[in-house]
Amino acid sequence: MPDQAIDNPELAEKFAAYAEAHMPGARNLRVMQMHRIHGGASRQTYSVDLAYEDATGPKTKGVILRRDPPDSLIDTERRIEFAAIRTAHGKAGIPAPEALFLETDEGPLGAPFFVMGRIEGGLALNPFQIDAVEPHRADVGRDFFRHLGSIASLDIEGSPIAEETDTPPADQCWKRELDYWANEIRTNAREPQPVAEAAIRYLSANPPPPAQKLSLVHGDFRSGNFLHDGAGRINAILDWEMAHIGDPYEDLAWATDLLWCGNDQERAAGFIPWPEAIGIWQEASGCSFDPEAFEWWSLFAHLKGLGIWLSSARAYADAKNDDPILAWSGWFTHAAHELMLAGRLASKHGVKL
Amino acid sequence: MSDAGMILQRLGATLVNDVAPKLEGDYSGGHASMAGIMAVMAGEMWDKEADLLVGEITRLKALLAAAGIGDGEPRIESFRISDLKAMRNGLAEQLIELQASIEGKDDEEARALNQQVWSHLVATAAARMPSPPSFGDTDT
Repeated sequence: MPDQAIDNPELAEKFAAYAEAHMPGARNLRVMQMHRIHGGASRQTYSVDLAYEDATGPKTKGVILRRDPPDSLIDTERRIEFAAIRTAHGKAGIPAPEALFLETDEGPLGAPFFVMGRIEGGLALNPFQIDAVEPHRADVGRDFFRHLGSIASLDIEGSPIAEETDTPPADQCWKRELDYWANEIRTNAREPQPVAEAAIRYLSANPPPPAQKLSLVHGDFRSGNFLHDGAGRINAILDWEMAHIGDPYEDLAWATDLLWCGNDQERAAGFIPWPEAIGIWQEASGCSFDPEAFEWWSLFAHLKGLGIWLSSARAYADAKNDDPILAWSGWFTHAAHELMLAGRLASKHGVKL
Repeated sequence: MSDAGMILQRLGATLVNDVAPKLEGDYSGGHASMAGIMAVMAGEMWDKEADLLVGEITRLKALLAAAGIGDGEPRIESFRISDLKAMRNGLAEQLIELQASIEGKDDEEARALNQQVWSHLVATAAARMPSPPSFGDTDT
């Protein structure tokens, strides 16, 4: 495979012109490298090296370009993702990238996009190969739950995310999310979904207590959506496209969903023992832990997974997006979440497994 | 040669072990790996899909018959996967309606039937869980 510095020259040329026009004082801006990064099925994600000059001399800058595809895993507005990153960047030690440009017009690059600063030196962690983080599993786990709690601790009043999206009443957070994902499931399912339908009925009939606080919810905080430095520290929290304002338990439940922890039920998210994880999260978030409320959100996390995977399958089947990750999500991860959800709900109805 | 299961397993191993490494660093390398993994999954499903569907249809018919819907006889006329799926899907829609109705009843008979429905849903989900792909000794 020949080494290509730029794998989409036409896009690189257009992006260089856009970036020069939007970076104050920049001139002679060139794209030196541009590679599409794997794993960004919800957006077309490119790692870009820029070189330019300003009043103080030559400069280089690494950025991440996130362009909307024809369809994606998650149907959300990039302005909300951009606002969520702006809300978290530089706050409470959260390693969110720097938000640079947001373009909602299709003109410059053929589709809406946004650009953020690239965080250098980060390693991805495959959520299905968590052992790869050894010997730093516990240190990464402590950072994981500290950042998760810190996101919930942020003051959202007047924040960029509060300006871009609705703030639900504390007693309606659960219902808004349940209604949203129930609609996604019913809109996108290509076959009847008896487990999902039963879960929707169960969750509707057994609501959780009101949110103890309204917070920024990352929406997809989990292994696979952060980078670490290989020495035990998380240095980037990524993929904010499902961010919204809601109940902090939503993030805690999704982050610790069984799908992301290598079937390790002893360690939260597959990293550290549950009591330690919950303790760190409580201290960083200022929230208390209520097992009953968490149980609801934990079941909901499985259902939300089904909503995402069914949307993926639909996009692939309708040929709106050819990325095979969508087919895999619609098959393997759907099957995994359906089995988890069926097993837990069957137990609640007296079935011995 | 029409052994689709074996062919898909071998194609999957080729994509993962031979093609994807040569594309490392390019976005298409990830596509090749993922396509290889799913080829193996498809090979496994090719072998068992008809059996799964017939089993699901048989259990669904029995559950519905227990609630007084139909006589419980499967009466399968075509074993094409698309026909079996259409039949299974129609019955699954009926099961969703049945389960919603018995959840609202506070009697022992309804609870027992609901447990049978849940046992069916767990068994179905477990049987449809793909095996973890393995390419250890299949790289030639």
